[in-house]
Parts: sequence; C-alpha cells; structure tokens
Amino acid sequence: MNKQLLGVIDATTVHDDLQELSIHRSVAAIPFGGRYRLIDFILSNMVNSGIQSVAIFPKFQYRSLMDHLGSGRNWDLNRKRDGLFFFPAPNLDKHYTGIGTLDHFADNIDFFERSTQEYALIANSYTVFNMDFQPLLDWHIKSGCDITEVQKEGKSMGIYLVKKSLLMDLVMTRNETGYSNMRDVVTDIDSQFHLCYYNFEGYAAMVDTIENYFRTSMDLLKPEVWKQLFLKERPILTKVKDEPPTRYDAEASVRNSMVANGGMIEGTVENSIIARGVKIGKGTVVRNCIIMQKTQIKENCILDSVIVDKDARIEAGTVITAPAESPAVIRKGSVQGVGSGS
Amino acid sequence: MQKKKCVAMLLAGGKGSRLHSLTKNLAKPAVPFGGKYRIIDFPLSNCTNSGIHTVGVLTQYQPLLLNSYIGIGSAWDLDRKDGGVTVLPPYAESSEVKWYSGTASAIFQNLNYLDQYNPEYVLILSGDHIYKMNYELMLEHHIEKGADVTISVIEVPWEETNRFGIMNTDAELRVTEFEEKPDVAKNNLASMGIYIFKWSVLREYLIRDDQNPDSSHDFGKDIIPLLIEENMKLFAYPFKGYWKDVGTVQSLWEANMDLLDKDCELNLFDQSWRIYSVNPNQPPQYICPEGEVTESLVNEGCKIEGEVSRTVVFQGVTVKKGAVVKETVIMPDAVIGHNCVIEKAIVSPGVYVPDGTIIKPGESENDITLVSEETIGELQSN
Repeated sequence: MNKQLLGVIDATTVHDDLQELSIHRSVAAIPFGGRYRLIDFILSNMVNSGIQSVAIFPKFQYRSLMDHLGSGRNWDLNRKRDGLFFFPAPNLDKHYTGIGTLDHFADNIDFFERSTQEYALIANSYTVFNMDFQPLLDWHIKSGCDITEVQKEGKSMGIYLVKKSLLMDLVMTRNETGYSNMRDVVTDIDSQFHLCYYNFEGYAAMVDTIENYFRTSMDLLKPEVWKQLFLKERPILTKVKDEPPTRYDAEASVRNSMVANGGMIEGTVENSIIARGVKIGKGTVVRNCIIMQKTQIKENCILDSVIVDKDARIEAGTVITAPAESPAVIRKGSVQGVGSGS
Repeated sequence: MQKKKCVAMLLAGGKGSRLHSLTKNLAKPAVPFGGKYRIIDFPLSNCTNSGIHTVGVLTQYQPLLLNSYIGIGSAWDLDRKDGGVTVLPPYAESSEVKWYSGTASAIFQNLNYLDQYNPEYVLILSGDHIYKMNYELMLEHHIEKGADVTISVIEVPWEETNRFGIMNTDAELRVTEFEEKPDVAKNNLASMGIYIFKWSVLREYLIRDDQNPDSSHDFGKDIIPLLIEENMKLFAYPFKGYWKDVGTVQSLWEANMDLLDKDCELNLFDQSWRIYSVNPNQPPQYICPEGEVTESLVNEGCKIEGEVSRTVVFQGVTVKKGAVVKETVIMPDAVIGHNCVIEKAIVSPGVYVPDGTIIKPGESENDITLVSEETIGELQSN
C-alpha cells in the first residue's frame, strides 16, 4: 500500500453532560455495548481500514484509557515499525476545544515528522460507527481536496482527512492563521483551501450526553443497527478478557438483550445491555438498563432505565426506576439499597 | 539458559478416534469444550496457574489447528523469553522418520529438548482430560516423599475400575503394583496419566526402554511396570476434585452437562484459577425478543431466537426462531435452523442444521447424537 494513512485520535474531549460516567475516566474510555470502550470503534475502524500507525492524544484521566489500550496487541498495533503511540498533553492548564488541537500536535511534531504516511486521518474518540476509510481516501485524492470533513446528514462527524504535509503547515502557522484546531480550519469562510465534505451513509452516533449514551446503547438492540456495527469482515476489536461463557439459571428469563461473557443471570432481563461478569440475582427484574462490568445486583430488585457503572453493588430488594428520557446513573463502585446508608 | 526446576511435557498427539467425526480434522486436545475452551486449555492453564512456565507440547495427529491455536502461547501467558511453550512435532533424523509410537517414545525423541533445560523434575501430562489441578502441590508431595516417580490418582467408581490403570499402594501411598484395566480390581485408585519424574531417572529409563525391542514404548504398559519391578520409589498422589477423560462422545457430552450444575466442582467462574483460552473477538450474545435461555452457558457472538435449555452454546452460534434445543452442546459457528427440535446431541462446529430437523435420543437413555455434515446428509436422504 503506497497511499498510507496515519491515524490520529483526539481523546482530549470532555463533555460536561457525561460527567457522571467520566469522573474516573476519559470519554474515550467510557464502557459501551457490554464489552467495548467508546474508543474501540474509531480505533478498530482505522485498523480495519489498513491504518498501521495510530497516535492517541489524551488529556485528562487517561489511566483507564492506557490500561485498556496497553501495547495495542488487541488491535494488532504492537508492531516494531509503526503501531500505537500515546501523546498525553503536557499542559493541563491550556484549554482545548474542537477536534485536532494544533497546539497539542505541535508539542509532538517530531512524531509527525518521523512518520512515513502521506495522509493523516484526524478523528474524535466517541463516535459509535463502523466505517472503511479507504474509499474516503480514494475519493479525497480523486477529488483533489485539501481537507475532507466526514459528515453524517450534513453534520460534521469530527473526522478530517488531510495530507500530512498540509497538517504540519497548519501546525507551524497556527499563530499567524489563528486556527487552533481542525474545525477552525474547515469552518473559515475565507479559507484558501479546497474543502470537501464526504457523506457517511451508515449508522453513526456521537456520544456526548447521558441521554444519547443511553439511546445509542439501546440502538444496539435493534438488529438493523448491530448488523451495521458488528461486521465479521470489519470487527470492532477490544481488550479481550478470559471470562467464561455467561450462565443462565433455571429461573432466568432474558429477552431482547445483549449479554457479554462471565455473567450469572438468575433473574429477569429485558431490553438491556449487560456487560462482562455481571451477576443478576433471583427475582430481580432489570428492564431498559445498561449494567456495566462486574456489577452485582442481588435478589428481588427492580431496575428500570438505569445506567449502573462498573463494580457497583445493588443490595437485595432495591427499587430504582427513572423515566426513559432521563435515565438514572449509579456511580462506579457504589453500593445502593438496604443497609448501604444512601 | 536458566536451569529449570520443573518442565512439563504435554502429550497432545491423541487421535481420539472414539470422538468420530469431531476429530476428523483436528487432534483430540483441540476439541472444543465448555462453550469457549478447547480441551488443551485445561492442562495449559493448570501449568500457568501452577507456576510452570516451560511446557513442551508433543503433537502428531492433525496438528495444524492445534499448532496455530497454541501459537506463541500468549493466551496462557506462556510467551516467555526463557522457556514458554514449544510445540514438538515428530521429525526425520538422517534416513529415519521418528513417528511417535507410544507415550514414552514421544518423550524419548525429545530428550534434547529436556536436556537443554536440564530440569530437576519432569511433569508428564496428557492433553485430553478436563480438570483443574495445582501441579505445584503434587511436586511438593513428590519431593516430600523422596520419590523417583509420583503418579496422580483419583478414586473412580468400583464398577468402572476395568476402564483404568489401577494403582495398588501400601499405607504410605507407595505403589506396589500397577494393573492395566483389571477385571477384578483390588482398589479403585485410577492413574490420571499425570506423572512427575526425577529427570535423571526418567532419562535413564527412557534410554533403556528405547533399546528394548519388546517394549511398546508406553508409560503405563512398559515404563511404570519396569520401575515397580526394579523397586524404584513410586508414590501415588491422591487427587480430589473434578477430573474427566473426555475421550468419547458420551463422556464429552456428560462433561459439558456437568458444567450446567451450579455446584459443579469444575467452577469456570473461579477467578483464582482461571482457565485461559484464545479469546474470540465477537460482540456480546444477543437474545432476541422471542428467544428464551434457561440453565445454559452461552458464549459471545451468539444470536438466540429460539428456546435453549440445559445447553452449552459456543461462540458465533445462531439458534433460529421456533427451534427448541435441549441438553445439547452446540459447537462454534453452528446454525440451528427454524423449528428444529434437538435433544441430547453434540452439534459439530460450523454445521448448518436445516429448518425443521428433528433429532431426538434413541432407545437408549444415554444415546447422544453427534450432529455432523454426515448426519445431516443421512437425515436428508432418508
């Protein structure tokens, strides 16, 4: 492949409205779909599109993100040549906005100088989609564009394709041009560049509020959606764990739900996403919920429209319900219900 | 190279002909088990969990899948710079092709592998048993007894003693007699085919055995009886816990069903003794609005639209609408068509069971149907 792409993932974004889920982790590392993290989608798309060098630019709370990505082995990015690179922001006081902050790139300009790829794909870390970037690259070259923005129904998806040499020019001249990120470059009406827009036809959802996190998760229960996201030929890769298959008890009743491995289901589960290693006790009803990794829900609870973060414990007999349009969030590691003192 | 205390040799060449078409294209240790594992995951995970990080895997029959499955051993944390897992296939030497003729000949032909580590002890394992065992405890027992050889034994039901190699011991657990499949057994301690040898003793007896033209070059038949005859120090190590030889369709099915028992001693959910495996990267299982799953184990990448009860479902399986599956093992990527009824069966990997197929157990209670491409062909021609 001579028309190679460099992958650049901006993982600096903070969405205030996702704070309940991002107190301990960057938005990129928010668990999604029972066994994934949000960043898995863009990262897998890059790898599946033949991108062999990916740079991650995180800023806040990136411990869980680094733990998740590790050496990049699960994405086949543990390479001697190219592979996965991690460039945390050195300066936490500087406020970044938009996707692809040029200051952040400037701090790591050596990386761009050294990399051999001719083009760079700059993307956000919180979009749930499955996209092949090769047709985008072919189209970009054929159309003679300087910068291509990927859009969905006329709205920016926060993904930009640019020649690496032009990206480096943008970084070098950022003080003269006043452009601080890729959005500034693309939205400048006096721009001297040939700007193009590429429409993505498939399913795509940007997760930036609790409401759309919940809605996007629930979308996974629609076969027409998961058929677009989970393709055999372009799998969404993630950090794999050695969990046994999920065990369903004699009294278990599970309908219209996605369930990851390592679970023990004794109760009733409907319209829900159940992550790895979750225990749901006898007589408990979990409906329209997202239950994250290793959470335990004891006997005779009722949960409706609740997002339960990792490692939480819901004591027996607890009832938590919320309206579907504003789901309740139970924080990571917390204990809820009888005897919990809360 | 650092001297190793204990090196494991895992005999994984088994043809497993009693598993019929399941082992047509793959060695017995590679047969899928328990919804996501292969049989060999158990001894390999036991090694890692017991702190034994140097393992030779002796392959012979249909090794392609097994070799690629083991890879560099990373799934079991056995990708080590010093030691780790090494696949040891038979090879040709000058004009002679050295096919493994018995368990002892397989180890003998890899003396050079063991010589390079020069361990104090050698642990010999077979790749076709399902169990969790801490080999370190067995090694401690071996050292404590000052044994030349320690053989792990398990109490089997008296009526089944004629299926096993039976160890007769004295009060100190010293082995006084070994009887291969006796008609009338003197006790019910069966050999599990797990041996710890003092390396110097093993080396000497393997060389002698190789030079004996009358030997069948087998541990159970030749080496162990000779050691007893020559009054070497053989001790039994009694193992308590779940252990199953899954060499037949019936026993493979039974062992899978055992996992559905909540109190099964073989607890796959025990975090302190994990069974490691090559993890497929598939989305979570999807249970459709019409689907129903009870008393079952279900792995990732499955889509369940029908009714599944007391069944072990491997990754990537589809059970279509109206299908009813009971007490069955569905191996990876199989598809159960609409309105099928399947009871007491093992469905082979990747098999497509056509809509409306009915498979029920025959006259005998324990009649387990192996559903393969051939079975489907026969059903359709009838």
